[in-house]
Amino acid sequence: MLNQVTMMLHVVFGILGILFAVALYVDVLNASERNLGRVKMTGWIIAACMVMSFVIGGYWYVLYYPVHRSIIMAGPWPWAHKYFMELKEHLFLTLLILSLYLPVAVHNSLPLGTKNTRRLILGLCALIVLLGLFMELSGAIIGESVKMGLSKR
Amino acid sequence: MRDTKMGRMGAGFGLSVVVASLLNALIVLVKETDHHVMSAFKAALGHHWVTHGAILIVLFIILGFVFTAVDIGKRFTFGTMLKCIVWSVIISSAVIAVFLLPNLKAGG
Repeated sequence: MLNQVTMMLHVVFGILGILFAVALYVDVLNASERNLGRVKMTGWIIAACMVMSFVIGGYWYVLYYPVHRSIIMAGPWPWAHKYFMELKEHLFLTLLILSLYLPVAVHNSLPLGTKNTRRLILGLCALIVLLGLFMELSGAIIGESVKMGLSKR
Repeated sequence: MRDTKMGRMGAGFGLSVVVASLLNALIVLVKETDHHVMSAFKAALGHHWVTHGAILIVLFIILGFVFTAVDIGKRFTFGTMLKCIVWSVIISSAVIAVFLLPNLKAGG
């Protein structure tokens, strides 16, 4: 049970991080004195979501994934582990570092007065969303490969 | 349009992102091609990925504060910092993705 709950929490925090990054993108596009407080807070929330997703996902990966890996490797889609999991686990570190930098960049860019200060935050949000979506895609492929492996048994 | 200079911390930690991102790809290459490094990573914190992650996070924080303290990013504008970060992420992601490409067709 803890196995499944841990995995779901990893995904939930990852999706929340992506959604808040989209929200921050829109907020920065419409930056004004009224939403600067929310912009600051959203930057911190994204960092917190990604840290939670990283810690929980890392815990699951180290503790529970070896069983799933054996199923995948014995199944018809071994490349799901050998390529997508390997890629996911390493690109997540880049995503985490970008998310940790985001609140620093937001505080540094306030009051978001010029186009270029906004562009930095918009660029960071776009990278976080793109990498986050790739994490979701890879996760889906890995999950499906476990099912394929089990159905072959 | 004139681009504005960044603050010390924004520039310092921005540069740290660039270095950490590129180092991420370098660690993957070294770790996956040298078994001694892989064994050392496994032995250090029990799992190679945990050691890899810990090194990157600690390095990102330390380099961020060091770059901030020495004001190394004082010439950076918001525009140039964004370009550096985007390119470092593209390059490191592409390096890892291409390096792992043979695994895609490898059997179990």
